[in-house]
Amino acid sequence: MTSPAGSLLIAQDLRKAYGPTLALDGAGFSIHPGEVVAIMGPSGSGKSTLLHCLAGIVPPDSGSITYNGQELATMSDAQRSALRRSEFGFVFQFGQLVPELTCVENVALPLRLNGTSRKAAEKAALGWMERLEVDNLKDKRPGEVSGGQGQRVAVARALVTGPRVLFADEPTGALDSLNGERVMELLTDAARSTNAAVVLVTHEARVAAYSDREVVVRDGKSRDMERAV
Amino acid sequence: MGGRFAFAGGREGWVRVLLTAVGVGLGVALLLLTTAIPNALAVRHDRDEARLDYTYDQKHKPKAADTLVISDANSNYHGSDIRGRLVEPEGPRAPLAPGLATYPAPGDMVVSPALKRLLDSADGKLLRDRLPYRVVGTIGEPGLIGSHELAYYAGAKNLTPRIDGWQTARITAFGNPHPSPPDKTDPVLILLILVVFVVLLMPVAVFIAAAVRFGGERRDRRLAALRLVGSDSRMTRRIAAGEALAGSLVGLVFGTVFFLLGRHLAGSVEILGISVFPSYLNPTPALALLVAVTVPAAAVLVTLFAMRGVVIEPLGVVRTAKPSRRRLWWRLLLPLGGLAMLAPMIGQGRSNGEFNQYLVIGGVLLLLVGVTALLPWVVEAVVARLGTGNVAWQLAVRRLQLNSGSAARMVNGIAVAVAGAVALQMLFAGVESDYTKVTGQNVEQTQMQVQNLRGGAFISAAEKFSATKGVRKATALGTLQVGDRSWNSKGAPGTSSSVTVGDCAALREVARLTSCHDGDVFVARGGDRGMDADTAKLARPGRKLYFDTGDGFSKGPDLVWPVPSGLQQVRAIKGPNENVYSGFLMTPAALPHRMTGLVSGQVYLSLDESVPDVHEYVRNTAARIDPLADSIVWAANEQSTKFTSIRTGLLVGATCVLALIGASLLVSQLEQLRERKMLLSALIAFGTRRRTLSLSVLWQTAIPIALGLLLASTVGLTLGAVLLKMVGATVGVDWASVLTMSGIGATVVLVVTLLSLPPLWRLMRPEGLRTE
Repeated sequence: MTSPAGSLLIAQDLRKAYGPTLALDGAGFSIHPGEVVAIMGPSGSGKSTLLHCLAGIVPPDSGSITYNGQELATMSDAQRSALRRSEFGFVFQFGQLVPELTCVENVALPLRLNGTSRKAAEKAALGWMERLEVDNLKDKRPGEVSGGQGQRVAVARALVTGPRVLFADEPTGALDSLNGERVMELLTDAARSTNAAVVLVTHEARVAAYSDREVVVRDGKSRDMERAV
Repeated sequence: MGGRFAFAGGREGWVRVLLTAVGVGLGVALLLLTTAIPNALAVRHDRDEARLDYTYDQKHKPKAADTLVISDANSNYHGSDIRGRLVEPEGPRAPLAPGLATYPAPGDMVVSPALKRLLDSADGKLLRDRLPYRVVGTIGEPGLIGSHELAYYAGAKNLTPRIDGWQTARITAFGNPHPSPPDKTDPVLILLILVVFVVLLMPVAVFIAAAVRFGGERRDRRLAALRLVGSDSRMTRRIAAGEALAGSLVGLVFGTVFFLLGRHLAGSVEILGISVFPSYLNPTPALALLVAVTVPAAAVLVTLFAMRGVVIEPLGVVRTAKPSRRRLWWRLLLPLGGLAMLAPMIGQGRSNGEFNQYLVIGGVLLLLVGVTALLPWVVEAVVARLGTGNVAWQLAVRRLQLNSGSAARMVNGIAVAVAGAVALQMLFAGVESDYTKVTGQNVEQTQMQVQNLRGGAFISAAEKFSATKGVRKATALGTLQVGDRSWNSKGAPGTSSSVTVGDCAALREVARLTSCHDGDVFVARGGDRGMDADTAKLARPGRKLYFDTGDGFSKGPDLVWPVPSGLQQVRAIKGPNENVYSGFLMTPAALPHRMTGLVSGQVYLSLDESVPDVHEYVRNTAARIDPLADSIVWAANEQSTKFTSIRTGLLVGATCVLALIGASLLVSQLEQLRERKMLLSALIAFGTRRRTLSLSVLWQTAIPIALGLLLASTVGLTLGAVLLKMVGATVGVDWASVLTMSGIGATVVLVVTLLSLPPLWRLMRPEGLRTE
């Protein structure tokens, strides 16, 4: 795979094995600022592993990942954590909201981890919750809201720090189609409004339709698919 | 079905059962150990009785084919007692001591395995100097009361002259010739024993109750799935009970295995000077059966009780809607009920018979159960009012606000143990003075005393002790009695006085001497025992006085001493043994030659206690002078042995219980962390610092433990005050013990948190996000 000029995040020839299972076998990827790229593929194809490698969560066994010109492999664990805190945002399939915190505290959490005061963090969080139409849930705990609402709270949490890249791993996987579409609309609109790149892992064509470009992963190898408009 | 579910579910299911079984197993092992204590004590007692060689009440036996002369040569090395015996079999049928195949020849010795190990080690170097015998064998288990007991039998010659009926005796059999029923134990000591047992066993019960709830959240989710396929509410409860029963049954098996392993290992450990042989630890069958029945029953009851507050619906796994607020009134009833049970015994004291055992056990039990009932309420009430701080604090507080019950359960065991221990420490401190005797020994002046130096050896001993490393001053004094008539005459002497023998330097320690030469005799006046008049009657030059030559066991020959002329009158002063004696003071040259062999004396030693092993050097010198010399380290106080034993028992038990509770805390901590593996990985994924999560785990434990210790101290102080009132002692708060026990409890939590950090860090790996 080539690395188009101006890419924000570039991965080349990634290999990653979990024991005897080869999850990535020479996969590549690139994304521009403001671009929404869907990583597609069947279950067990290696798409989540590719996302985890791109986000610096899991180090690849070999290959290179460059973010904004900087090689992730040369960064320490603390530097990668700091990068994830300040530059990246995450949305997981089941939201992974902290069950004991209220929704607004959950959204404010990444800001608080960056050292923002509680009041300022919660004010910013509330702003994002309004944009994602969940501000009425601010004092509820995740156990008290529906799956779709919880996922919107998770999107707000992912965007609250103003990330340059948003990683979304099956963000609608646990939702019905109506809720799923609403979450995708809000997520992509919000990302585009902030010029954030979105790496979207999904196996649903309906969800992938929100992207600008698709990358298919199969047997650990990736292939760029140009969208037919 | 519940049983099948307990084991189904692949690795997760097995891990859950394993955690419960290990937890229950540890508790069961400790309970089985408790049921084995009566037997262990009985065996120790029987073995100790079987090797008794006391002859206090026996008549003088002549030498025969079945006699043995045996001398007590006990010693102490680095704080451990050594049971030593010198033996001289006098015929082919001399009684053989338990554990011995044959007696060692003079110059040889047979030793306990522990003593052999000590003598072979570098640590035993000084002891080898003291026991210069050749090791020719080991004492078998029947001759020892513990696997770590230090004991030896050394062959000796010419012990007959040392027969005195107490230290050296001629015997024809070992064992207690007149076994008597055990002494009636003081009611206060019985009260202490009862409370010690309740206090130590309560945390074990609390721990078992916590262990059967391991994996509860996962189980609830599984039960919800069962509801989805048609199981009704009662069926799910039955299934949950079945699961708990299966877990507890496996726990019983684990407990038995742990107990057997522990029993095997018991022979290789010594706790606070007490060791046992594995064969001692046989659980009392009835008590073991009680454990086997009670533990599974308790597991089922605890599970059903815990499920009261959980609504399991077919959808949405477990509806964790806000639980109803905990009510205080019935929780308060428990400790109040406990106090009500103890109240009738307030003021009973020691003199009004025994305390009602059932009321004591019931009252203490209810008070301690009250801690476990009140703690969840206290934790809930306090954390609800806690504000937000940094992220770690916020995560911890919010978690506690959402589910304070499991946190309270985690620290319940510690809280109960601390409450009980605080109360007991108060009771011990309150009655300690009743069981502590002031010895009157002035430890400023004299730190050690060597006694039973027979045959005039003491006269030259002072010089040898003075040359011993660490000895500042040695004062050797012998004591004799003189009377106006023969000690063999009917009615004994009418008037008698004491004779203190020593060189001039030693005599200057007991009287004010203006001049002194060897051969001088003095008359000391002004003693504290009213002997001045008798001494004055006897101290008339030319008067014939009779020495007491008996050994306390048989009377000796008449030995007459004409009082010399030119006796110097001197003033008696307080001597090294803190007494002021009137009587004759005699320098060695003035002592009739025939008396030299009959006098026995002691050496008072002033030591430089900064010299390492100074006590051992003194004991070695004493053993070189006379193997039967008795070296005593002076102490300002001495405590009743029974009182000390109960206190030691409490410490041994508390050590085991705290170790168990620590293990339980660790298991529950890990279990909770496992439940949150995915969430922890997600938090790390978006950049949460590990330190933040570690601190949050610490706060989650520290907040309930702080509240638990506060409640425990309050209940402990209340119980302590009631117990002190019951025994009629002055109520005083022993703050040192409160702080110590709370400190120990807090340390356990800190250690557990530190131990749970490596698994926490492992769980925080981003790989935890993988689902495929």
